[in-house]
Amino acid sequence: MDCLEVSAEQALQMAKGCRQYAMCKIDFLGTGICESGADRRFVAYYPQGRMLLYAALAEGKIPVTARAKEIADGCTLCGKCDYQCYFVTGMRPTAVMRALKRFVVGHPQPDRAASDADPLLAEIRAIVGSRWADSDPAVTVTYSTDPCPLADQRIPRYVVLPESAEQVAALLALFREHGIAWTVRGNGTNILGFALGDGAIIDMNRMKRIEFDEKNWTARIGPGVTAFELQSEAVRRGYRVCVAEGAASVISSIMTSGILSLLSTAYGTCASNVVDAEFVSREGRRFSLNDKEAPNLFAFQMTDQESRFVCTSATIKLHPRSDDEAGVLVPFQGLDDAVAFARDCAVRRIGFGIGILGAEYVSSFISPTQAQAVTVKETLSTKLGMEYLVVVLGDRHALRSVADMGRPLIDQKLFRTLNLGLNALGAAEWLELLTEVSQEEPFSYLKIQGFSELAETALGPSPEALLKEVDPDLRSFYAELYAGSEMTDLVWLNMFRVTSSRIGREKHFFPILVYLPLEAELLGVLVREFAAIAAKHGIKHDLGFITPVDDGKRCMFEYDYFVDHTDPAQIADFRVAAGEVGAVIEKYAAKTGTIRWLRYLLHQGVCRMENLLYC
Amino acid sequence: MTDSNETIVMTGATGFLGSHLMAALVQRGDRLIILGRPQGTRPLRERVDALLASLGATPKKHQVDVLEADFSDPSCGLNWHQYAGVCLKATHFLHCASDTRFSETNRLASIQTNVRSLASIIELARRSRAAYFHYVSTAYVFGAETSSCPEAPVIAARHANVYEETKAWAERDVAEECSRLGIPYTILRPSIVYGDSRTGQATRFTALYHHVRSLSAIRDIYLKEIRELGGEKARRHGIYLDADGTLHLPLRIHLPRRGSVNLIPIDYFVAAVLAVLDRPDSDTIYHLTSNRPVSMEELACYCERFLNIRGIKVHYGPAPEGFAPNPAEALFDKFVEPYRPYLSDIRNFERRHTDVATEGIDPPELTYDVFERCMAFAAGANWGR
Repeated sequence: MDCLEVSAEQALQMAKGCRQYAMCKIDFLGTGICESGADRRFVAYYPQGRMLLYAALAEGKIPVTARAKEIADGCTLCGKCDYQCYFVTGMRPTAVMRALKRFVVGHPQPDRAASDADPLLAEIRAIVGSRWADSDPAVTVTYSTDPCPLADQRIPRYVVLPESAEQVAALLALFREHGIAWTVRGNGTNILGFALGDGAIIDMNRMKRIEFDEKNWTARIGPGVTAFELQSEAVRRGYRVCVAEGAASVISSIMTSGILSLLSTAYGTCASNVVDAEFVSREGRRFSLNDKEAPNLFAFQMTDQESRFVCTSATIKLHPRSDDEAGVLVPFQGLDDAVAFARDCAVRRIGFGIGILGAEYVSSFISPTQAQAVTVKETLSTKLGMEYLVVVLGDRHALRSVADMGRPLIDQKLFRTLNLGLNALGAAEWLELLTEVSQEEPFSYLKIQGFSELAETALGPSPEALLKEVDPDLRSFYAELYAGSEMTDLVWLNMFRVTSSRIGREKHFFPILVYLPLEAELLGVLVREFAAIAAKHGIKHDLGFITPVDDGKRCMFEYDYFVDHTDPAQIADFRVAAGEVGAVIEKYAAKTGTIRWLRYLLHQGVCRMENLLYC
Repeated sequence: MTDSNETIVMTGATGFLGSHLMAALVQRGDRLIILGRPQGTRPLRERVDALLASLGATPKKHQVDVLEADFSDPSCGLNWHQYAGVCLKATHFLHCASDTRFSETNRLASIQTNVRSLASIIELARRSRAAYFHYVSTAYVFGAETSSCPEAPVIAARHANVYEETKAWAERDVAEECSRLGIPYTILRPSIVYGDSRTGQATRFTALYHHVRSLSAIRDIYLKEIRELGGEKARRHGIYLDADGTLHLPLRIHLPRRGSVNLIPIDYFVAAVLAVLDRPDSDTIYHLTSNRPVSMEELACYCERFLNIRGIKVHYGPAPEGFAPNPAEALFDKFVEPYRPYLSDIRNFERRHTDVATEGIDPPELTYDVFERCMAFAAGANWGR
């Protein structure tokens, strides 16, 4: 069977497996994005939406409507989504698109959508234009789920895409008048279940304006602007911004959780990168952060919060770049040493990005397929003993300082060699031997004169070698991609974060995120506690990343649980485990007084970093 | 020792030397009590049975008792019933257990295994009223600068690594404790042991094997690059395939001085130990060493022939100023780093006690045929990976 021809059951399984990471909504591979999505902007018109729509239709959750047929017909089967989705999840959505087309053809649709008779929808459309609001289940169902195992499905009544702050203010006033609850959504679901709601979903996808003010080192952006889009524009002008995953709306990231990035080591988080921002309150009042009379959004409280304002624009800091930037990876066998090293770098303000990455993270990011990721992780952690890798990004002076610290390291050139040659890593007996004889100083073989050249000789790195397990029809495209420097450039990868979503390739991941002192003992305790809970419930788990913030006084810490979000049994187990994880965090937060859980940061993401960390 | 009333308590039976000794003792009918640790979730009994089977030894019913033990515990990790049982049956102790790692980072573990654990084992021997305590040490308890090594206690030495240091320390403790408690003892000091000279068989592949495996790995890197990628990098490193299929692999090995490597096969080691067990002299040290150590040049030739490579050159004295190793040389240098002190060895081992105790048993010479047999076996076993 051709890989594009799958059975209805297989198509349904793939559709339900959609991770909803919104990567098909950004042009991160240079393929362009789905034309109908770019035109209509509703999630339903992107491949992600069609996956969700097909799942809902095939399971009989919604009827086939004229809108469903229009959405299905809007797909040209161009195959762009295959390149995009396969890169991240290993899935081929085109097969689902075909199944969707077949499904709607086989089911009659009513002539007229019931939604056309809804007077409130007419009022909403009067504000935003008739194209930009809908209540058809074929549209609303694509806003009803989140892969987060804590989230239950909630089908909204309306989905509306405003274009301006004025329209947002008018919508909020209308919803207030009619008692309609609303939920704002950036580019995606946020994978924590907070972008779901029964009333109206306000999708900010049309508010994509980016205005640079280079004199003041800022960019003013709309809430629909994604991290990838802003970073691309900033880099084109010679700057850098501190943003999250490529597909994430920059403003949504800031408002809900603050920017979680390795770059936060140098650029901070929460309000640190926000010069100003404009909001609309529930009552429809507009204000900006810089107003003297504005609500104090810089404060932080350790209590659950709700969304009280809609951010309609933010003015983001631009950071300078130099032409000699690169990254290095410093391997460690144990967390304690990795933490000590990362802290040492942060305290000395070396580099503009630092992160301790677990083997699962690194393996997932650098491997084009899941099977490779499994082998690479086995090789890194078991054969080579590289349980943790500290990535440091910096200019040549910073990287010289790292080299002077004397640790064996993987420089940018060697990283490319290892990445492009990773298929040969597992069978590299010479590396195993080197590990055996390097017990005195683990990884000291990396200091061998000419090691990089040797690794090139032994591993035969090339895009073709790396991609030999990739679906044959996609290989040449990816080969061209990897022939360029970006996909193996540690700086580029950490700025654009297009491979981060691969962490959810095998199963969706649930990030447990806390801010805490950058202390090995406390981190070790939490790692052990989280690992024990996961093991008890049979949940796959691993350390995600640790990034120093505020000169290494504190850090962001992510520990990941991996759950098949289509498996009710795993979801049930996870929910019990999540309760236990919460209790552990609360226990240590009370005991230490220094731990801040992401749960409380949600909707306070624009607070001052110092308020979050120390108040 | 084959007296039906005698039972040997043995440690280290799953190690290289211990496993071969155990098999030989079983084959000649000795009764054994094996004390040791499980390996992860794999029980000791399973490991012992597998080793005996692989070495062709089939114990009779009740010939081999296996007890999982922990020598860091004063009672060896045995319950009262097990401990009493050992005391009742044991007549001889053969202590082979050892942490053979060289790394300084394993210092604490080495001290624990090689030194601290002696107390509980010797106490068990005392309570058993053992006729003899035999301790397997190493010939390298002498420092590398000692040229003449007598079969006598080591007074002081500069050791090359924590393994040598802790074995020397353990020898002193064995002698002191056994003397104090009135237990007759022997100390057996083998040099570097390789596989069976007749069959090539071995259960572990370290030491000599490590060098050959290292060279094999380097050869394979370049052969693959030449065959699959055109050999551009190999040429850049001065490496190419000769017309006869031999890989020209120039490796300049710089050693501080001319020396030799003292190697004995496992079959000789086993035969010599059995002879000593049969006719031990109380409080005596035995050197189980070769009368004809091999030179580095000989070993290099053996390696070249076995691996079908050419170009290994051994240089003595410091590397010339500005010497820049090619990547293959740098890699080999790293591979042999822990073993470097043994490549320029000047130690000569006296064998007076051994010659008397093992009369008629001579260490076989390491010829190319023996070398090839052993290395072929190791390669066939994928170097124990």
